[in-house]
Amino acid sequence: MFKRLFQYREFLSTSIKKEIRGKYKKSFLGILWSFLNPLLMLMVYAIIFPIILKSPEKNYVMFLMTALIPWTFFTTTVTQGMSTIIANGNILKKVYFPREILPISIVTSGLINFLISCIIIFIFLMITGIGYSKYLILLPFVILVQYIFLLGIVLILSSVTVYLRDLEHIIGVVIQALFYGTPIVYSLSTIPERFLWVFKLNPMAYIIQGYRDVLYYQQMPDVQGLVMLLLVSVVLMMVGYQIFNHLQKHFAEEL
Amino acid sequence: MTKNDQTEEVAIEVCDIDKTFKVYFDKANTLKERILFWNRNRHEVREVLSDISLTINKGETVALVGVNGSGKSTLLKLMTQIIYPDKGSIHTYGKLVSLLELGAGFHPDFSGRENIYFNASIFGLSKSEIDDRIDDIIAFSELGSYIDNPVRTYSSGMYMRLAFSIAINVDADILLMDEVLSVGDQHFQEMCYEKMMDLKKQGKTMVLVTHSMQAVKKYCDRAIWLYQGRIRMDGSTEDVVKEYLKVCG
Repeated sequence: MFKRLFQYREFLSTSIKKEIRGKYKKSFLGILWSFLNPLLMLMVYAIIFPIILKSPEKNYVMFLMTALIPWTFFTTTVTQGMSTIIANGNILKKVYFPREILPISIVTSGLINFLISCIIIFIFLMITGIGYSKYLILLPFVILVQYIFLLGIVLILSSVTVYLRDLEHIIGVVIQALFYGTPIVYSLSTIPERFLWVFKLNPMAYIIQGYRDVLYYQQMPDVQGLVMLLLVSVVLMMVGYQIFNHLQKHFAEEL
Repeated sequence: MTKNDQTEEVAIEVCDIDKTFKVYFDKANTLKERILFWNRNRHEVREVLSDISLTINKGETVALVGVNGSGKSTLLKLMTQIIYPDKGSIHTYGKLVSLLELGAGFHPDFSGRENIYFNASIFGLSKSEIDDRIDDIIAFSELGSYIDNPVRTYSSGMYMRLAFSIAINVDADILLMDEVLSVGDQHFQEMCYEKMMDLKKQGKTMVLVTHSMQAVKKYCDRAIWLYQGRIRMDGSTEDVVKEYLKVCG
């Protein structure tokens, strides 16, 4: 598999570029939207939440930002990833290339977009005076866990969706539910003990909490949990690849 | 002959393949439909290819001929690995490039030049390899200054020129082509055939689908006549074309 991907590395990199550039093609501001999107989204939340929600957090905007931006990375990648095979049906039907390049380039372009958005986080950490801590060196690890996890999910969803188009709508609902089941707009410490099992079972809770620990609380994240999740994600990715490889044989006929 | 010798000689090996397509009358695609109308998934299994076995040697130029719907394009798609056979196996030896449809994989908003990079990378070329070839590709396409215009502004002839120029310049060992040349003008078609003769001299293998019997006779060493998903005749161009024209002409 890796040999094939290496041979097609140029296609992989051009399709990642295409994914990033194509998204903003025909818009005036282009790639700047990768900055502006999270910034504007944040302004909306910053205005609304202090009014409707009395939060004990000392800096609610940053509290939100450190979780919401990684969350957006997750949702956009999953929603785009699951429709990527269908969206590229035209090429798939006519040219041979390793099909797994499509989901991989969606997840990778999502990652690049996320890294650009991270610049916004860093700038605001400085402006708001929260600053950086030594735990920042764990940030790449959290990002890696999320990346591998997303690869597994997207490999499975992108191939299954071809045969079961409903999945797009089902996953839409699941993502919405997951948003409230993940400590994004609230803090884990405000959750009653008896509901904590929900977060133990939610992989995104580990990841989001990891980002928030490293960036906002500036404390040691739950490394044990994250390592566990990394192992699970690696297995998920391998299983996902098998599923994808099995299902891809009939893509051209189903599309 | 040892196995090793064989792989050196053979370019494409098709062993006893069957391919069927399911033709749905009213396909239940969504979960709701699948549950509510589980019995609605009536489909007809249509046999597109059956009992196809053939070996194409390195350096051969083979024409696939036959009426519409005889399975020529399906056979090419199977060789390209876009679809997979139900039974049997296909092996190809060497780098394979196929030109199944005009400008497959072109991104309409990108310029011709950007599309060269994109398209050639689909064929597995690295950036530096494309850099080396880009001048040849642009020169062969004769697109001149149009090369920097978005591809959506191209005419179908220009599309074909670009697609063909890329496919022919990626140094494939095997080239599969599905009736794409007919869009080009006389001059370009001749250029293409000339270039193909060049490639042939270099020992490349080519499989063409075409309805132009003149081209078959002029450029191919061997013709395979498909009829209703089976090989009806396989032999020298001369014989096959004569038979074919007798029956279908």
